Amino acid sequence: MRSIKLAVLLLIAAGVTTTRAQTPAALPAGYVGSETCKICHEDIYNAFGKSPHQAVETNAKRGFEGRACESCHGPAQMHTESPSAATIRNPAKLVAAAADKICLTCHLNQPTHVGRLESSHAKDQVSCTSCHKVHANGPNGLVNRKPAAINEQCASCHTSVWAQFQRPNHHKLPEGAMSCVDCHNPHGSIRPAMAQTFAANEPGCLNCHGDKRGPFTFEHGPVRFEGCAACHEPHGSANPRMLVRQEVRIVCLECHANLPTANKTGTIGVVPPSFHDLRSPRYQNCTVCHQKVHGSYVDRNLLR
Amino acid sequence: MRRLVALTLMVVPLCAQTPEPQAPKPANSPTEVAKSDATVAAEAPSPVPSAESWLTGSIDVGYRWRTDVGGSLDTYRSIVNLGSGPKLLGADFTLTDPKHRAFDQIHVRANGWGDEPYQTVHIDGKKSKLYDFSADYRDMAYFNFLPSYADPLLSRGIVLNEQSFDTRRRLGSFHLDLLPGNWFIPYFAYDRDSGSGTGATTFVTDGNEFLVPNTLRDQTNLYRGGVRFELRRFHATLEQGGTTFKDDQSVFQNSGSTNFGNVATTLFGQKTDLTNLLASYGVRGTSVYSKGLFTASATPWLDVYGQFLYSQPDTNVHYQQADTGNLLLQSQVLFYTSQQYLVSAAAKLPHTSGSLGAEIRPFRRVRIVESWLTDRVHNAGSAASNQTLASTDASQQIAALLTSSLVTNYSQNEIDIFYDATSKLTLRGGYRYVWGEANDAVLPPEGLMSSDQAKLRRNVGIGGVTYRPTQKITLRTDAEVASSGGSYFRTSLYDYQKVHAQARYQALTSLNFTADFTLLDNNNPVPGVNYDYRSQQESLSLFWSPLGGKLGDFQGSYTRSTLHSDIGYLVTQTLTPQTSLYRDNAHTATALFNVKLPTVEGIAPKLSAGGSFFISSGSRATSYYQPLATLWLPINKKMSFFADWRYYGYGEAFYLYEGFRTNLVTAGLRFTR
Repeated sequence: MRSIKLAVLLLIAAGVTTTRAQTPAALPAGYVGSETCKICHEDIYNAFGKSPHQAVETNAKRGFEGRACESCHGPAQMHTESPSAATIRNPAKLVAAAADKICLTCHLNQPTHVGRLESSHAKDQVSCTSCHKVHANGPNGLVNRKPAAINEQCASCHTSVWAQFQRPNHHKLPEGAMSCVDCHNPHGSIRPAMAQTFAANEPGCLNCHGDKRGPFTFEHGPVRFEGCAACHEPHGSANPRMLVRQEVRIVCLECHANLPTANKTGTIGVVPPSFHDLRSPRYQNCTVCHQKVHGSYVDRNLLR
Repeated sequence: MRRLVALTLMVVPLCAQTPEPQAPKPANSPTEVAKSDATVAAEAPSPVPSAESWLTGSIDVGYRWRTDVGGSLDTYRSIVNLGSGPKLLGADFTLTDPKHRAFDQIHVRANGWGDEPYQTVHIDGKKSKLYDFSADYRDMAYFNFLPSYADPLLSRGIVLNEQSFDTRRRLGSFHLDLLPGNWFIPYFAYDRDSGSGTGATTFVTDGNEFLVPNTLRDQTNLYRGGVRFELRRFHATLEQGGTTFKDDQSVFQNSGSTNFGNVATTLFGQKTDLTNLLASYGVRGTSVYSKGLFTASATPWLDVYGQFLYSQPDTNVHYQQADTGNLLLQSQVLFYTSQQYLVSAAAKLPHTSGSLGAEIRPFRRVRIVESWLTDRVHNAGSAASNQTLASTDASQQIAALLTSSLVTNYSQNEIDIFYDATSKLTLRGGYRYVWGEANDAVLPPEGLMSSDQAKLRRNVGIGGVTYRPTQKITLRTDAEVASSGGSYFRTSLYDYQKVHAQARYQALTSLNFTADFTLLDNNNPVPGVNYDYRSQQESLSLFWSPLGGKLGDFQGSYTRSTLHSDIGYLVTQTLTPQTSLYRDNAHTATALFNVKLPTVEGIAPKLSAGGSFFISSGSRATSYYQPLATLWLPINKKMSFFADWRYYGYGEAFYLYEGFRTNLVTAGLRFTR
């Protein structure tokens, strides 16, 4: 008798479960549930099952339990009745802002997006789905994680930047030792060029070049005011120190020109005149003597 | 450490089933167009495979031969630095615990182990609702020894580098997120950055500079922890961190030799020389920093963003220098035979940054983005020095106390309005105002400028268009036009126009093109500056994968870039104003074919061939060639043989002795599971 009761209870429970899973009546109006989507889109459904987005399917707190597909694509009842591209929302075909709005419904309130207003990707209508593959499989499958793959993805748009990495002196991205996101935050940053930061608000360059951080007793102004890129071309250069000009003296002399500016609030670092004879090879590489060009702990003239 | 990691990776038993091997992407492969979701999904395995392996991935091991380097070995080591020997060329595997005990999955990838210049390993581990962990370790060689223009003795036929390094930088990064719930995430992280090695530098005295060896050793530790609150309507991150830093450089010359420096002529009738030197820097630094971030969806039409960032690094320095020789104090025309120089210095740099902004959507098609940003750096330093100069008949003591300050207060305010004119066309217009003050002072006046100040005032107009007439075509352009009333430096942005345009066209499912154009034209007409700068890049790239890549694929790109920079300067010996002219015209191309060769006796080989070149003319003409070819031969389902050839050729038009050329051949096996 007891086993019969148990069997009946199990049958009822199974029936309720089946009904909930298969009856559209349990879903809000217009929704059909992910199982229905699977009938035609099984490959995507299967891949989605291993994606972090599967949490939307299984976690009731996210509000789309059992209908994760429709959390982005919208209610699909009309699409099931009349299957065509016109009857379903496809974020890939929306303007970037509208597509992003779907993603940001869940993802806006995360630290990743705090620099979004400064992001040139957002300003240039590069949507989340340009880099992130929403249906991709695997826990880290939504976006490339391996340096070579990241670099390829960035280079597919930033072709001229990638060309700079073919110059002889470059950060080691083509070698696979680094990736673009080591230096840049693709979601936006408080620093220029969406650069990464070190210790809150210092330039991300210092993540690796900690010996250039200081603070120095005698600073070299451009390092603090305009950052490393004032003198360095970080992507690649024919100069062995990756300078923006291919000879050191040209970089220095464009600022330290000995010519006073006319206006009273002129520019920094121009005068007093240097007594060096620039025609002599001895003075044609400033950093032979002014070797502490990033700043000196002990010498005002950056000599030691 | 690196041997242990390499050994660990190599003993991982990776010998089971495998799909066919993939040709490796070359180091200089240019682009690959992202696959569509559908393609990615189609490639995805079933979510619950019947017999999912606990270990999947691949490992590449091999041996590399390097031919003799023709030309400059020093330049080769400065630019390429790959050597011969057995290598762990790469590893990439995933461990899965089907019972989800200590972890769900662990991903490991490693690159270039075995006395390689760039050795990396990265580990990601995760357990659902418990933790998310990542560790990254990199060991980078930094060898730099290029004589050319760094050598003041070049005119005498002496080829030396007066600034060179043979060092390694080791970087470790460890991050742990705890996941006690969905909205409350504490985290901890530790980063370490250290460098050590030897090099050459100059010891500079009045009237001469002496090439001497040096040792370099620095280390930065970064500790941080925080908590993230991620709720439906808002998010906040609070982080607190700190660093410790030490830098122990030393410069020396052992007694028993005489160094005559870069000046062969006499100074005030005497030759100067250096017979003994020991100078050491003892730098110790600390810092604390705080970070507060928030985002909020205040209403359906308003999102708010904000950041507050504060850091305060400081350093304390004890510098000691003792040297002997025949040396000169130029200001007093005093020759001395020994010097002792002691400096105690300190610097403190409070740095405050913040941003606040909002995205407002008053109408369905209109978005208004308003943002304000500020960055304030205030450095204060002081240095007390005491030097004793002694000659055969007298000694002199000189003490000095210098204070320094460097201040910048930078701000910018920007408003952008986006209008979705149609579902295919988005227009953007905006305005940015940038302002700031900077000053740099040292008191009492000494050496370089004792007090300098500048103001920054810039008005920038912004415009942009994104047009997507069909799914296959995207046209995107944005431009800035700026007018300034002041800038910090002569070469800073002043009156400029900046344009970026890009077109992407997917001609076929298997063929697409990207064209890219960037321009920056910057002029500073202020008398005494007269700066005229223009840089321009044009790129074209394509990716072709016929028959869905069944036969192979091709990717290639070509970029032309030009730069000119004209600016005035004064030759003080003749008091004549001159114009510095700088020109650079560069051509860069990359290409890569991947071809599936005919199957022979069940073996389906693959060939990849291509490479890149860079040729420039102008102020310093340079050429750099990197062709390559790789052949893959699958031996069986779990193992493949590969052979890789690369050539590196570098040439300098003005410094011929810097050129080099060499061939590298690598043969190895890939084990896949």
